[in-house]
Amino acid sequence: MAMNPKQDCGRRIEDLSDFLDSGISADATHIAHCPQCQARLAGLRILSTAALDLMSDDEAQVVAEGTGWLDGMLTNLRMETRAGRSIPLSSGPFEELSETEGAVIAMVRAVGDSMGGVLIGRCRLVGDVTVAGAAVEVNINVSARYGYQLPSLAQELREAVAAELLVHTELNILAVNVAFTDLRPPLEDSVEELANDVNKDERP
Amino acid sequence: MLAERAADGDAASFETLARRHGPLMRAYARRLTRSHDEADDVVQEALVTAWKDIGTLQDGAAVKAWMMRIVGHRAIDAGRRRKSHDNLDDQADPADRKPTPEQAAVASSARVALNHALARLPEEQRRCWVLKEFGGQSYDEIAEALGISAASVRGRLARARTMLVKEMEEWR
Repeated sequence: MAMNPKQDCGRRIEDLSDFLDSGISADATHIAHCPQCQARLAGLRILSTAALDLMSDDEAQVVAEGTGWLDGMLTNLRMETRAGRSIPLSSGPFEELSETEGAVIAMVRAVGDSMGGVLIGRCRLVGDVTVAGAAVEVNINVSARYGYQLPSLAQELREAVAAELLVHTELNILAVNVAFTDLRPPLEDSVEELANDVNKDERP
Repeated sequence: MLAERAADGDAASFETLARRHGPLMRAYARRLTRSHDEADDVVQEALVTAWKDIGTLQDGAAVKAWMMRIVGHRAIDAGRRRKSHDNLDDQADPADRKPTPEQAAVASSARVALNHALARLPEEQRRCWVLKEFGGQSYDEIAEALGISAASVRGRLARARTMLVKEMEEWR
């Protein structure tokens, strides 16, 4: 029995685990030549492989159960979507109109995502948007696809975002700042994947 | 990029992340809890926490490990709640645990052996081992989550591994 030898070399399972994780040990020479340590290492390796297999099995089992359980959880979540700050809109004497910051940022995202080569990351409205007429800057992080001219892409995005904000908000936009924070190879699939996952109810 | 968008409150991006990692989170939670219902409560709580806190996530590339870490924490919380609410009569005897459907479906012999050995492990050891092997958490993270010392985590893990290797050898 490897784990219960008659002559114990005194090395602990902890030390062998560490050796297995890191590949280094002050005791490496002993371990290399000790039958007991070698047998224990073999056992730990089998355990480690079986653990990975078991985890994949567990995950595959959950995938096979469909996505109904997750749909329910996500439905509960969506009701708690963050609205952000409240942005005032001009209104008559007996009413108070406003739109949420979350809605405006979602709009900026939609504008960017509809352009070829652009995927919007972080988007921030900088300035006191809760005060009508206050100066506001829009900071956008962008992931661009290879093969686009970045300066003209930035210009196009700035104009499209500014035009959309002009139509749908009364924000006093001083600037739309575009930062390219990521470049994607032509076949990167995050946009498609995002669109697919949002539109699909079930995995194949 | 998805994590960045989710951090900005983009529900669709968060949903994509949740769908990508949800099955693993559920599988992980099942290994850390006593029942499938409890596991789903844990995943639901983990998703709520993740959605609330994703703005604080610095490295978007680490989102999977981060979500798994949250599941680990919520599972430990659930275990504590269970302990403080349960009567002794309600405590399931680990030896009586019937294999769940996914356990019954496990095919390969090493996995069958591990699956059985895990079910027989004392809960504290099993939890440590699952947090380490499935959750990929460090000794320090596990120690902090469980409120014990890193040395205790090391000891528990060593005992768990010794037991598991032994039982797997006997199985063959």
